[in-house]
Amino acid sequence: MADHTVKAFTEELDGLANEIARMGGLAETAVLDCISAVVRRDTMLAQDVIARDAKIDQAQRDVERRAIKLMALRQPFAADLRHVLTAWRVSGDLERIGDLAKNIAKRTLVLNQSDPIQLTKAIERMGRIAARQLKTVLDAYANNDVQAALSVWTHDEDIDAHYNSLFRELLTYMMEDPRTISPCAHLLFVAKNIERIGDHCTNIAEMVHYLVTGEEMSAERPKGVEVSADTDD
Amino acid sequence: MANDLADTRGSAPLAAPAVRAALGALMETNSKVVARDVTVWYGDKQALFDVSIDIPDRAVTAFIGPSGCGKTTFLRCINRMNDTIEGARVGGALEIEGKNIYARSVDPVVLRMRVGMVFQKPNPFPKSIYENVAYGPRIHGMTKTKADMDNLVEAALKRASLWEEVKDRLHQSGTGLSGGQQQRLVIARTVAVNPDIILMDEPCSALDPIATAKIEELIDELRANYCIIIVTHSMAQAARVSQRTAFFHLGRLVETGPTEEIFTKPRDSRTQDYITGRFG
Repeated sequence: MADHTVKAFTEELDGLANEIARMGGLAETAVLDCISAVVRRDTMLAQDVIARDAKIDQAQRDVERRAIKLMALRQPFAADLRHVLTAWRVSGDLERIGDLAKNIAKRTLVLNQSDPIQLTKAIERMGRIAARQLKTVLDAYANNDVQAALSVWTHDEDIDAHYNSLFRELLTYMMEDPRTISPCAHLLFVAKNIERIGDHCTNIAEMVHYLVTGEEMSAERPKGVEVSADTDD
Repeated sequence: MANDLADTRGSAPLAAPAVRAALGALMETNSKVVARDVTVWYGDKQALFDVSIDIPDRAVTAFIGPSGCGKTTFLRCINRMNDTIEGARVGGALEIEGKNIYARSVDPVVLRMRVGMVFQKPNPFPKSIYENVAYGPRIHGMTKTKADMDNLVEAALKRASLWEEVKDRLHQSGTGLSGGQQQRLVIARTVAVNPDIILMDEPCSALDPIATAKIEELIDELRANYCIIIVTHSMAQAARVSQRTAFFHLGRLVETGPTEEIFTKPRDSRTQDYITGRFG
């Protein structure tokens, strides 16, 4: 799109996009590192992820501050308005992703105090998919690529499927050896957190769609088999 | 008899949705002004190219676009103000409530009573506040007694949200009022002759923000009873006061639609560029 007649307006919009890109980079690293920490039982890395979350929180406050300033002083319309609203909401999703990564890192510290559980391989696979989804959707955001956003949106069911199978495996583990209940429960939360990271990626995908087309995503997202609350297998 | 009554009642619920649907369709097509392929020439320069638009009653329609885009030219077609410009020719079809306003039988003076106009700069007559409002009704012979005229003036000033501020000085000069009050006086003068349509050509461009807000509030109240068309250079004002927006560029109507859509997801890239301040 052409630049604004008022150059400072263009600069402020670009600044907002750059801040989202930087924040996305921080969230992406946090996700990769927390998965790595849980899989390799790396306490130092887990502590580092926990410490770095403050930067993501700070970045979100920065995005909000910039967005408020743009709204108040520039009164953006049309694509500019969508740009500001999208940045605002995406920063919220990225901040949550950072929190979920931090929570995984915290559980890593607890998990490292008991014996390893084989299922961390499944966690690693699931984590890799979530990290790839995050990378793809951040690229889609940076490039206004609706097709890439749609692919993220539809591929979320892969993560859901992994989560559901891991859920069943963990239940089996716990039933076989009640001593594993505590670490397995933590691992279940780790898996749930990854699944929720995936959900935030689909939120961002929906915002990319809105940003580019001005339309809400209307169709119902395909979902894998739900884990029912009363499942007994 | 009893059976007949029962039949009627029995069929009523069936008929109701159909009636509602028909009414709905009628509401959709409730256009006060319909323009088809309207062109305007000033001498040998064409100012407006094939403008087709439906303008709804009891709603505010905003015309936006850069200077010289034809929005004021089109506005002035609606009450035949272009007739007063030498060398101006209007082509195409322009109807108000289905009647061609350029037909030979139409008296422009009568038309302008039905289609009032508020200009950029407040232009009260150099007379008292009362006489400013009474002027139109008097020349059109709308009242018989002084009491009737008093009532009409009061009603018009109330409708223009000016009554409370001027009721104790109705016989002082209209030009002694503040800019915002003068503009509301002009609006009172316009509504005094009971028009159907009110055209506003940048009515707030000479006013401060508070006076502007008062006019905008007034426009919002007036739209319950009138078809209002406003030309404005302020995007924010168009967004605030109108339900529909039409974007003009280089003498053409580029895009028209619900204001909310125009300001969140315009279809045409020229509209997008203009309202976001990328040209104009």
